[in-house]
Amino acid sequence: MDELTIAMPKGRIFEEAYELLVGAGYDLPKELDDSRKLIVEAPKERIRFILAKPMDVPTYVEHGVADIGIAGKDVLLEHDRDVHELLDLGISACYIATAGLPNTEMNEVTPRIATKYPAVASHYYRSKGEQVEIIELNGSIELAPLIGLSDRIVDIVSTGRTLKDNGLVEYEKIVDITSRLIANPVSYRLKQQRITELVDKLREQVTR
Amino acid sequence: MTIEMFEKPLGMRDDFPSIAKQKAQLRKRGTEQIERAGYELLQTPTLEYYETIGKISAISDDALFKLLDSQGKTLVLRPDMTSPIARVAASKLLREKMPIRLGYYSNVFRAQKREGGRPAEFEQMGVELIGDDSLYADAEVISLAWDILQELGIRSGRIVIGHARLLELILADFGLNTEQSENVQELFVAKNGVGFEQLAQQLPVPEHKQPSFRKLMQATTVSDWKPWINEENEEQQKLYRDMERLEKLLGQNGLGDAMTFDLSFSSHMTYYTGLVFEFYGAGSGFPLGSGGRYDGLLEKFGLQVGATGFGLRVDRLIETLSVEEPQEPHTLILFDEQSEQIAFDKAKQLRAEGKRVTLQFAPAVKALEQFSELFTKVIRGEELRNG
Repeated sequence: MDELTIAMPKGRIFEEAYELLVGAGYDLPKELDDSRKLIVEAPKERIRFILAKPMDVPTYVEHGVADIGIAGKDVLLEHDRDVHELLDLGISACYIATAGLPNTEMNEVTPRIATKYPAVASHYYRSKGEQVEIIELNGSIELAPLIGLSDRIVDIVSTGRTLKDNGLVEYEKIVDITSRLIANPVSYRLKQQRITELVDKLREQVTR
Repeated sequence: MTIEMFEKPLGMRDDFPSIAKQKAQLRKRGTEQIERAGYELLQTPTLEYYETIGKISAISDDALFKLLDSQGKTLVLRPDMTSPIARVAASKLLREKMPIRLGYYSNVFRAQKREGGRPAEFEQMGVELIGDDSLYADAEVISLAWDILQELGIRSGRIVIGHARLLELILADFGLNTEQSENVQELFVAKNGVGFEQLAQQLPVPEHKQPSFRKLMQATTVSDWKPWINEENEEQQKLYRDMERLEKLLGQNGLGDAMTFDLSFSSHMTYYTGLVFEFYGAGSGFPLGSGGRYDGLLEKFGLQVGATGFGLRVDRLIETLSVEEPQEPHTLILFDEQSEQIAFDKAKQLRAEGKRVTLQFAPAVKALEQFSELFTKVIRGEELRNG
């Protein structure tokens, strides 16, 4: 049996992904998340987990140091990595939307957009034929319109709580996001049997 | 004053002596096989016109290195070898000698937008078999590529084979128009199974054909393709029979377990019109090489002939083969002013015997001990003088 290396995102997506794998019948060590280890082995299943930042999962998979990975569609859209998207896991559902202060128009001359997703934002406004200036931020995006850095933000919305708490409203929805199972193109071919088996088992879990 | 710019342009690499040596060996072993199979090696210019090669090459525009010549015409650093060879083959000289077999080992240039790990200049070796549109030509180039990979010692080698034309015909049979068909193929190139499932729901594929349509990405053998073949379509029938024969032919050539026939396998290189294939091996996260049939490309140079070929990525082959070679015998002769002549003679004699010898004036070396450690054998001047 080939050994599989799986890149798992730390944080929000991790628990749901872990549940899915256990539900699919994989015998995984319990302390997977709460240890500070970055590499965890599941010797019974011949699986090795790499615990990575969600944004980095597709990078590990693209370079083939992880055979497969679990990554949000938002990250895949933003980075356009050369990986195979095998299955929609349906977990961590949310969407990317534009938001801003209520009842405001965008600045006509230099509309400014603050976001963690510059590629997604730029593509979205270009497809609408609007020329905007993208300002890249790494977190607390909601701050930008409040202190006058930008007219709009483009960010993940899951419950809408954060927007509301900060007095912002959603304007347009851009795209739905869920987590996906991704594979390195070479691993997909060389370990096809194991990967297909994993996909089938997870698919059963997802559609149930 | 020392130069401050130690940096290299994005994607450019230095080949240090150990890599340069590995590459030279790989080049020798690869090109020997290519020549033994009856292919003639050629070299085309590094610079080509943007209007011809740049546009034909199927490499995206922003990956081209462009520059201007003294007349203001746009030039490109060659982004691939297939289109320059098609240009050469279409020239008068070679037209009469079809089919022609040409091979190459050359560097090509593709600008990188992203961070490291992806070279912007890399070597490719491969062949083009031009003027033979039979199945045997395809089988020949695939077998040759496979033999080279085997000779180089690739572990768990695998080839994935698809067929651009057959896929097009089958998608049309499912009731897709050109635009829809292109959208589906784009998802196939990216191997985006999720996107394909979502798109399948929106396409005008009849209800009873949906299950079969959704299986398009799952085939692994030629017989898996059978359910999609239209019994009444002669071209599909013929292409399918070709694929069956190819599977058998390659099986006989030792590719048996290493083949995957995936109808949905497509290439971003849009000039392929028939068979398309890609090679993989353990040790590299990226494909080792690819190829296919590109009958349409030569038409652009006014030639109505079939052509097929492959290219292997030397940088990725090196990556998969990175085994430390044992240090070869290398003698150091350290001489001083008194032993100058005798040292020169000794070096000459050893070199004539085929040995590798470095001759070094000892007082010019600052760290004599460390320097000597680089060699398998050290001869000092005084030893020579004393016989």
